[in-house]
Amino acid sequence: MFIEDIRNDFYNVLLGNRVLLLVHYDVDAVCACKILQDLFKCDNISYTLVPVGGISDLKTAYDENNEEIKYVVLVNCGGTIDLVDILQPEEDVVFFVLDSHKPTDICNVYSDGQVRLIYKDDEENIPNFDDIFRDDDEDEEEPEPEPERRSALEAAAERRRARKAWEERRHALMFNYTQFSYYGKPSACVALEIAARASRCTTATLWSAAVAAAAHEALHNRSPARCLLDAEPLHRYVAAAQRHTADDDTHRVARVSVEKDASLPLYRLWSLEGALRHAGALAPLLRLHARSGAARLRQLLADMGFPLQQARQAYRSMDVELRRSMLTALEAAAPKYKLPVPTRATFLLHRPHAPPLSALDMVYAIMALIEHETIPRAEGFQHALAALQVTGENEALKLGAAAARRALEAVARLANSILSSRGLMLAGPFNYFIVQEV
Amino acid sequence: MFGEKVIELLKEAERNSDTIDLYNDEKIRQIIQEMHILFKMNMDDANATTENKSLWTTVQVRHSALERNKRCLLAYLYNRMNKIKTLRWEFGSVLPPDVRELLSDSEYEWFSKYSTNLASYMRSLGEDIGYSGIDLTENLRPPKSLYIEVLCVTDYGKLELEDGDVIMLKKNSRHYLPTEECQTLIRQGVLKQII
Repeated sequence: MFIEDIRNDFYNVLLGNRVLLLVHYDVDAVCACKILQDLFKCDNISYTLVPVGGISDLKTAYDENNEEIKYVVLVNCGGTIDLVDILQPEEDVVFFVLDSHKPTDICNVYSDGQVRLIYKDDEENIPNFDDIFRDDDEDEEEPEPEPERRSALEAAAERRRARKAWEERRHALMFNYTQFSYYGKPSACVALEIAARASRCTTATLWSAAVAAAAHEALHNRSPARCLLDAEPLHRYVAAAQRHTADDDTHRVARVSVEKDASLPLYRLWSLEGALRHAGALAPLLRLHARSGAARLRQLLADMGFPLQQARQAYRSMDVELRRSMLTALEAAAPKYKLPVPTRATFLLHRPHAPPLSALDMVYAIMALIEHETIPRAEGFQHALAALQVTGENEALKLGAAAARRALEAVARLANSILSSRGLMLAGPFNYFIVQEV
Repeated sequence: MFGEKVIELLKEAERNSDTIDLYNDEKIRQIIQEMHILFKMNMDDANATTENKSLWTTVQVRHSALERNKRCLLAYLYNRMNKIKTLRWEFGSVLPPDVRELLSDSEYEWFSKYSTNLASYMRSLGEDIGYSGIDLTENLRPPKSLYIEVLCVTDYGKLELEDGDVIMLKKNSRHYLPTEECQTLIRQGVLKQII
């Protein structure tokens, strides 16, 4: 069942109860979890947070922690599976599901109160209840009186036919509904809505939601138009928060703002050349795998008016003039190389006494922390949560940024070597290549 | 000179005003002896010369010295008593043996009485509203928050909270728990506080 009122039917129900929070390993889930945690902290709702990575993980986590727990909140997991069937919970346990994975399992949708879905996506074409479920009364037919036997037989045949037709229809509906999996609105944006309804919209909340929105955009989980629509309430809240901050406070407190920024991953924490070389949106168009690719990149930098020496050193230590003119130079130089528009409106976090941070960089850092090469996933999850904090020294972010750079470099190296060694197979609608295990 | 010893005693106590030091039995005995001598001399002089007023000044001076000694001793004891009172709040009803050695017998007796008084008072608190007492020594300063966020560092197993809830402490799970329940586990290194 879907929840009507996100505040009264979800948040207020949790007040004063112990909550089990099961969170999936992805950027959106980490952000949503951070928002919920902050809310729970404000209201002294004691919770247990366990990150889960799959259905078996979900099961063990639930089995280990279900004692005395009446409310379970699932973030980005559990929506697409029949929870009651898989977890076998007690009658009075209630599951709140905040999942951006679609399509939602039909049994969850039509559960009578045990599974409650927090957000209803209008894009989902959920089949009607009557088309899917039907009371089976065929076998309980009463023996009809003798004279009407013939007509009864006909009626029974008619019913069977109708049932057969219905079954076919159900099958087609279910097939259409479940054949593609896709993503819905980011969970963190829904969590932001809860925070806003509870009047607890802080900078940390806005920042988490902004990172989640950026994640869905950067990972192409949603079409760009949808991303824009998803972020619309976020834009509103950011603008409202900016209005509330007094002018003399702007340099003393952390704040989120929307600004035009280059969509190069991690360029603030890297060098300009490095970021250009590894940007997923630009590098392939510069054909860096080809022999002339490096020259083309240098040409682009020359067109932008950036000396190689400057472009190769850390962005933070680049000439201030160059840094200021970077966006316009990049925009001006891009069309010549048939690159897409390299700038877009992004969320930036301005912290006192620290360089601004872009939501896009945060996405890559969190992903790198969760899928770090040496840190186990559960520990990486804790680091990812720590990286989302807006104030103070952020060691986790540094760790994440370094790991993200390594990951991007490895991906670029692999892609380039596959392309240059002609390892890419073209097979009809799919292109594929084989990654050798190291 | 009269009253010299008592000043020494006070100065000694003054040197470390934050901590309590050994009950100076020897010195106090000496001071009391001095007071006895003074008193005896005064008695003799007063008895001997009821008419001879020339000795009255001497008696007066001795008496002042006597009074002063008494006052200083009382100050010394009172000061120690206050320190012992804070010991109760800091250490609880059982003193560590090294602190116990610093107290005199009568001081220790006072401590036990104070301790019992305090305990019975704390038990009586909130009786009318159904609580079975409040431990006042727990939070001497108001806590910043009743709950803290902790990260479990090792696989510990089950933990039963005061309200009967059972929590599974497994590595890398986060919990938001009442501060008092976690403190011992944090000290043991099972949990880590997240700020």
